[in-house]
Amino acid sequence: MSRFKAENLFRGTSLAWLVIGFLCVFNLGPFMWMLSTSFKTLQESYAIPPTLIPQNPTLSGYDRILVYGNFPLYFANSTIVALSTALFSTFVGLLAGYGFSRFSFKGKTLLMGAILSSQMLPGVLLVGPYFKMLAALGLYDTRTGLVIAFTTITLPFSTWMLKGFIDTVPVELDEAAMVDGCSRLRAFFSVIFPAIAPGMVATIVFAFLLAWGDLLWCLALTTSESVATVTLGLARLVTQFRIEWPQLMAGSVVGAIPPILLYLLLQNYLIKGLTGGAVKG
Amino acid sequence: MKSLRIRLEHQGYLFVLPCVAMLALVLGFPALMAVANSFSPIWSREFTFTLANYKRLIHDYVFWNSLGVSFFFVGGTVALHFLIGMAVALALNSEIRARRFFRVLALLPWTIPDVISGLVWRYMYNPTQGIINYTLMRSGLVDTYVEWLASARLAMPSVILADVWRGYPFVMIILLAGLQAIPKELYEAAKADGASMIQEFWHITLPSLTRTIVVALALDTIWQFRRFGLIYTMTRGGPGHMTEIFSMLVYKQYFKFFNFEYASSIAVIMAVILLLISLPYLRLIVAGARE
Repeated sequence: MSRFKAENLFRGTSLAWLVIGFLCVFNLGPFMWMLSTSFKTLQESYAIPPTLIPQNPTLSGYDRILVYGNFPLYFANSTIVALSTALFSTFVGLLAGYGFSRFSFKGKTLLMGAILSSQMLPGVLLVGPYFKMLAALGLYDTRTGLVIAFTTITLPFSTWMLKGFIDTVPVELDEAAMVDGCSRLRAFFSVIFPAIAPGMVATIVFAFLLAWGDLLWCLALTTSESVATVTLGLARLVTQFRIEWPQLMAGSVVGAIPPILLYLLLQNYLIKGLTGGAVKG
Repeated sequence: MKSLRIRLEHQGYLFVLPCVAMLALVLGFPALMAVANSFSPIWSREFTFTLANYKRLIHDYVFWNSLGVSFFFVGGTVALHFLIGMAVALALNSEIRARRFFRVLALLPWTIPDVISGLVWRYMYNPTQGIINYTLMRSGLVDTYVEWLASARLAMPSVILADVWRGYPFVMIILLAGLQAIPKELYEAAKADGASMIQEFWHITLPSLTRTIVVALALDTIWQFRRFGLIYTMTRGGPGHMTEIFSMLVYKQYFKFFNFEYASSIAVIMAVILLLISLPYLRLIVAGARE
């Protein structure tokens, strides 16, 4: 018996390490290439054959986007838009999640089904009419217009995720608090809120990542430099006649830092939030 | 007692109202407008019902091409996300050191915008200056510069590989959570009976994971059908129309050719396909929430 176990463990782990080795090379390789290029001179980035490590490391790529380019502005826009989306979507989703979890009313299943299926509506179906709507409302080419658009993408997820988290808190707990004379609001804040706080963090991070990474809606709903986001700024750099890779990779590094940092800091919450629904239902 | 229940019912509506109203206004209304547009004559100011756009679709080579390209892209990426995701999830679920560290590493590419992954891979695929051809030539696997993104045959597989890098971690993390939820006793019993690793996988792991796998595949399919930034930064649908997935085609029809009505009809077809594919998933989730 113990012989079997040791044998299995050995076979299992050596194979596991092989996969882990692949994971390290595959996952980190492109990041290394991006970082390395961002420190190269323009001349070196055109070298044939390419160099792996910058021969004359320089910050000129970063200079080109941060000092001479508009990236600080794009960065601020992306932050404002993604953060507003994340908070707004989590707030509205929390209200709806609470309603769906704690009340039974006519048409509840239908509404929940409709919210879930709204995720199947592809962005390209909506951008055209939405573009006309925003233009009519005077919200075309504004950050507000973008936030509203992003919120509708993230809201179905936020609602379902938060409903799932609230479902894990036994109804008896908030009922007991309400019988003790707490108002619904106080019962929510003293019983449910502490229990689902980690779930809310996950929802906020998830919505932030989605909004930060979007390109389609930024392309379709804005034109001015003053409201452009990081993804849009990067996409526009490519359309130029000649691609300056060090500058483009420096911009990519800058654009990747907030999501990566947020993920590294809050990864436990995010992973639990993403996987909770899939495994338990 | 009854009046109390009715009051409570009304409160329920109150809580879900902001969410439902927003989705109706910003998703529902534009979606209906798009459907109406798709049945209008092209470049018309007033609405008159016509099937012209759909008739045009049937004879449009570019549309049928895009249908095939989309299915190839979604099928290819979802399948590879699943295979690689499963292999990595199994590895991270075994008893190795520094599992937490590798798990953090594994999800990293998924967190960055697909625009950035598109750009990085585009440079890596560069025939003369890119790292991929350099590595392949150094190791003697190829002896000429391969045109990864400019070749009709290789463009799609190349784009798919770039997307696999960005997309497999999400599937992996869901599968890993599913693996961790399988009771350890099942494996111990199997080991006592002398089951091999492959037998364990077929008879314990896979059956216990069915639900997780359905959810992971469905979510991934939905996301992959909507992918846009990656193709936009890597190929813009080219060379020719070789990588022109639906979202790219509709975008071009809207904002390059300004064929709003025709673009709407393609987008409507795309939405219908997506809804049909995700029907089993929708059923599963809504039924689960009802209990």
